[in-house]
Amino acid sequence: MEFRPRNYIAEKEAHALPRVLADSHPFSAPSSPSQLQVEVVDDGNEEYFDPLRRSDNNAEASREDLVEIETSFTAGLSGEVSIQNPSKEWAFFKRSLMQRFPVSKTVLTYSMSDMIVKGRKTHEKSSTSMHLEELEDPEKFAEEGGKVITGQEYVSRLHELKAELTHAWHANDRVTSLKLSIKVARLLMDTSVLQCYPTLFAIATDILDILGDMVWERIKLKAEFTEDGTRIFSLPENFSASDICFDAKETCNNWFCKIGAVRELLPRIYLELALLPCWRFLVDQPLNSLRRLVMMTRGLADPLASAYCRLYMAHCMRKLPSHDTGCLLTCVNDLKIVSMRVMSAQETSHGAENRRLVVSLMEPTIEYIMKCIFRNAPEKQVGDVLVELGVGLNQKELLGRFPCLSIVLHHLLKQLPSEVVSSRAVEILHLIECSRDDSLDQCLNYRLLGFRLCEKSQMDTVNSVVDKVIQVIIGYDGLDDYLKVVDAFVDIVLQNHMDDHLSSILEGISKRACTKGIADDELATLQSILVKLLSYCKDIEDIFSMNHFLKILDLMYGNSRSIVNIHILDMGIRKGCICDPRTIQFLLEISQALHHDENFVNLKDDNQPARLISQFVSLVDYGAEIESQLAFLVECRGTFGSIRGLKETLIHSSNCLAIKALKDAKHLSFVKSCIAFSEVTLPSISSQIMQLNLYLETAEVALLGGFVSHSDGLIDSAINSLQSLDVMDGSRLPIDADAVLSSVQKLFSFLVMVPGNPEDGVTYFPKNLVSLLNSQSWMTPRMRVKVFCAIISLLAALSQRNLPYHADGEKNLVDAIQQEPSKAARGSMALEACNCIASSLILSQEISSICSNLIETGKSCMSTNNRYLQSTIKFMDHLPDSSVAL
Amino acid sequence: MSIELKLSRINRVYRPTELIEGKIVVKSSSSISHYGIRLAVNGSVNMQVRGGSAGVIESLVGVAKPISIVNKIIEVRPSGKIASGTSEIPFSINIKQPGEKNLEKFYETFHGGNINIQYLLTVDISRGYLHKSLSTTMEFIVESDKADLLEQPVSPEMVLFYLTQDTQRHPLLPELKSGGFRVIGKMSTQCSLSDPIVGELTVEASAVPISSIDLHLLRVESILLGERIVTEQSLIADGDVCRNMTMPIYVILPRLLTCPTVLAGPFSIEFKVAVVITFQSNIAKMPSKSDPTTPRLWLAMETLPLELVRTR
Repeated sequence: MEFRPRNYIAEKEAHALPRVLADSHPFSAPSSPSQLQVEVVDDGNEEYFDPLRRSDNNAEASREDLVEIETSFTAGLSGEVSIQNPSKEWAFFKRSLMQRFPVSKTVLTYSMSDMIVKGRKTHEKSSTSMHLEELEDPEKFAEEGGKVITGQEYVSRLHELKAELTHAWHANDRVTSLKLSIKVARLLMDTSVLQCYPTLFAIATDILDILGDMVWERIKLKAEFTEDGTRIFSLPENFSASDICFDAKETCNNWFCKIGAVRELLPRIYLELALLPCWRFLVDQPLNSLRRLVMMTRGLADPLASAYCRLYMAHCMRKLPSHDTGCLLTCVNDLKIVSMRVMSAQETSHGAENRRLVVSLMEPTIEYIMKCIFRNAPEKQVGDVLVELGVGLNQKELLGRFPCLSIVLHHLLKQLPSEVVSSRAVEILHLIECSRDDSLDQCLNYRLLGFRLCEKSQMDTVNSVVDKVIQVIIGYDGLDDYLKVVDAFVDIVLQNHMDDHLSSILEGISKRACTKGIADDELATLQSILVKLLSYCKDIEDIFSMNHFLKILDLMYGNSRSIVNIHILDMGIRKGCICDPRTIQFLLEISQALHHDENFVNLKDDNQPARLISQFVSLVDYGAEIESQLAFLVECRGTFGSIRGLKETLIHSSNCLAIKALKDAKHLSFVKSCIAFSEVTLPSISSQIMQLNLYLETAEVALLGGFVSHSDGLIDSAINSLQSLDVMDGSRLPIDADAVLSSVQKLFSFLVMVPGNPEDGVTYFPKNLVSLLNSQSWMTPRMRVKVFCAIISLLAALSQRNLPYHADGEKNLVDAIQQEPSKAARGSMALEACNCIASSLILSQEISSICSNLIETGKSCMSTNNRYLQSTIKFMDHLPDSSVAL
Repeated sequence: MSIELKLSRINRVYRPTELIEGKIVVKSSSSISHYGIRLAVNGSVNMQVRGGSAGVIESLVGVAKPISIVNKIIEVRPSGKIASGTSEIPFSINIKQPGEKNLEKFYETFHGGNINIQYLLTVDISRGYLHKSLSTTMEFIVESDKADLLEQPVSPEMVLFYLTQDTQRHPLLPELKSGGFRVIGKMSTQCSLSDPIVGELTVEASAVPISSIDLHLLRVESILLGERIVTEQSLIADGDVCRNMTMPIYVILPRLLTCPTVLAGPFSIEFKVAVVITFQSNIAKMPSKSDPTTPRLWLAMETLPLELVRTR
């Protein structure tokens, strides 16, 4: 067996495709100036979301997040666009209401909910214990009467009532259903435990809605079918009262009479609201009833009860085909009067704390009604709505009116169309200024105004508004209020490049933060402000140029600080190469801070900070000062040792550095130290394949630098790491196997260049490898074939310098091919092997038989017109002294 | 064996000139032979004195003589047999023959405390002496004939009223008397039975917080021997409502418990509306079982007459 003498250069030329000069680079953008533009526009452009630009848009996204967190409760509601279905929206609203005011653990003492307790009494106390208590403290017992139940029990009892009601209805016992629903409605009269009222409301109205639906269905059935079940009439969607037969009307009337006989006002209103759609069976203008009910609600003096009653009203109104914004406006105006009364109440029974709670409980009702108003109001009506609400935005209209209640103003502002907000910003600002009451912190209204103004980028009056707001917040002592307002306006300030304001804001923050420190809740706001600021910065230089920024950053701590750090780092590496030593130092400090934050280090593989740090390290470039760059790498290895993937980066960097240094012969010792750095770092890399590749890479660098013994040692290590591969785990993924294969192939091709060691002989490495690969159990036949092909090619190449080596490869090769289970794969492998053998070896009789054998295998596995097969046969034909029998 | 009366109208409301139609439903496992099926219509005004302002002697006398409005019997079927199973025997009967002269006016059905105006339909299947006769009774409701009703609708006029510490003829709480209060409102005093009582009310001022404002519908049933007042109550305001907010008065008249105002010789049924303001007070005992219109220190009230009419 003898290797065919080959001229690789000639072969390469013969096989290479003709080269043509390309006009333009396929990856380059159509024209380079536009690329810059895209970058600029992108900052403010929110129209589409490019997932690849995720990190760039982070600031944008997190701003939205923050708004949502801030108005945590409204967050879902403000996604109103997605929820068009009123009933779904209502269900969502109720759920969030209950979440906002949870009932658990509260112990209730209900003074009037006898019937809730009645069912429980027996469970609660045995009769003997009841007697005992009665003896001990008869008076107290009479007062309380065992009416202490927990919130959970109360809720579950309500659910039982609901089941009872539907059960009674389906058993045709409608009188009981009505009685039960009256009882449920009566429960709503009790506002003694403020916290629980929303939950009570949600469940009770749920029950009332069920009753309302059932009555509606029943009357509709009566209108459409006779008693014996034949359809007499099909009601259209927009039927009128005249379509309804007498019997159905009579039934409907009966229901309203029964409800009208309820003595108490509140249950009467609730029940009539539940049946409100049924008015359509009797009259064509059901809105008249609604208007009356709006007025009747004024008779409810309890602020909480009346507020929630109006809330239910707004909900029930949506079931009617026509809408009346007037009713809702009256509701809001009445609510305004009621809440003003709550806040001005002098009674000692209502502490300030209690008053705040009442107002906060009333807030969702205002919010929901306001939302209903603007859902129906077309754009041009907005002005009328404003006048109706007593917040006419002209100075003239304002004169002599009440200052608007800030909580009402808040929700009005939230719902106003953004065009109106931006066109009337000055007036709104004036309104906010006028409304100073306890219902809501004034700063929250300023904050909301800021957010609303952000929605519209174009605004004429922006300067005067911002001036005004900055003036206002200068008067704030507390950092929290200050930050809240700044958070909302910082975008506008940045968009309009108001640098003076920006520096005054930063100064304000640092002044307040220095004196009092930053509380936990303030941190989040501060974080959002800084992140926004960073999103407008182009590079790190901007940060250095901002006064107070670094000072503020130093005052921050914990998670928020880390998040800001991430953003800074992200921005720092966005520009690519990092050369400025000051920037490097700054970013290194930030990276260190990030690294020390345990929360981030302990994260899983997909670890943004770790990725950013690695990226940062790889981007650092000291230019000519290669010594300090290596020192930097060493420092990084010491500091960030635990970050996965960073060592790979370090080795890459040091290798690159070595290559750079190689260009200048003076630095040979430096190259050596780079390689030493790599060598020392390499063993601690956990991924074997990565280690293998890096060993190869370093070996190449070493060879390039002329350090042959280093290179040999590195190849040895590479082979060792290859050897330890299978020790690790048996379940190797196929993709991993491919990576190993290509690494091994690369190793072979590298070996061509490595000068042979006189002691071990030139075939030392190939021999080692062959024995190693033979022993590896995880090699698939396909891999084996590829590896053997590579070995033959390598040896052929080596043999060109008359270095004789006989590997008993072919036999193994043929065996390996026969082990391949897939027919098609076996065929192509056979052909590949055949090509490889034929081109590497001189065709002796022995080799020829192997080749023909392989071609037969190929033929048996593939169709005869397979192109690979044909080209192989052709290749064999053209070989000199071909004796393969075809 | 069961017998049942079914009327053609579910709400059982008929006018005197209308024909009452319906069927007698007999369910039986065996066939029944009978001596005739008869249907009786009976309408009367029953009066009695129970407690109230009547003296000892009157309460001993108890029941005043009832006034009969209508009393007639018709035969639906002559004697014969009813087959086993469910049989339905249709009938129709005139309460008031056209042209027939009645002793009494057909008052509308009314169930009060002292006075009961009731119309009954009784079916009777007599089965001889050996068997108990099968019978059942059902009430039906009479409303005035359309022809007898007022042509023009109820006058939309509203009566203005106001309550202050000076309009009250009974002693008030001292702080109320000195601090004063003022509630004004308006209300219709003539009202159709099918419509609610409407009006409005505004609390303009009150030195003492209000506990509630109720509207009492008073029914005054008078017979020769005495008078009885029964009330229906409906809350307009619950708690210390905001000042200067107009609240509507809207009370649906309870069926059966109301009828057109009647001023007959031996008896009369009249209605009044009382607006009662209850002020918050430590000495107030809620709720008093006795007549809510009894003057109390913490109450202020205004009573208005109310004429109820049947309209078309």
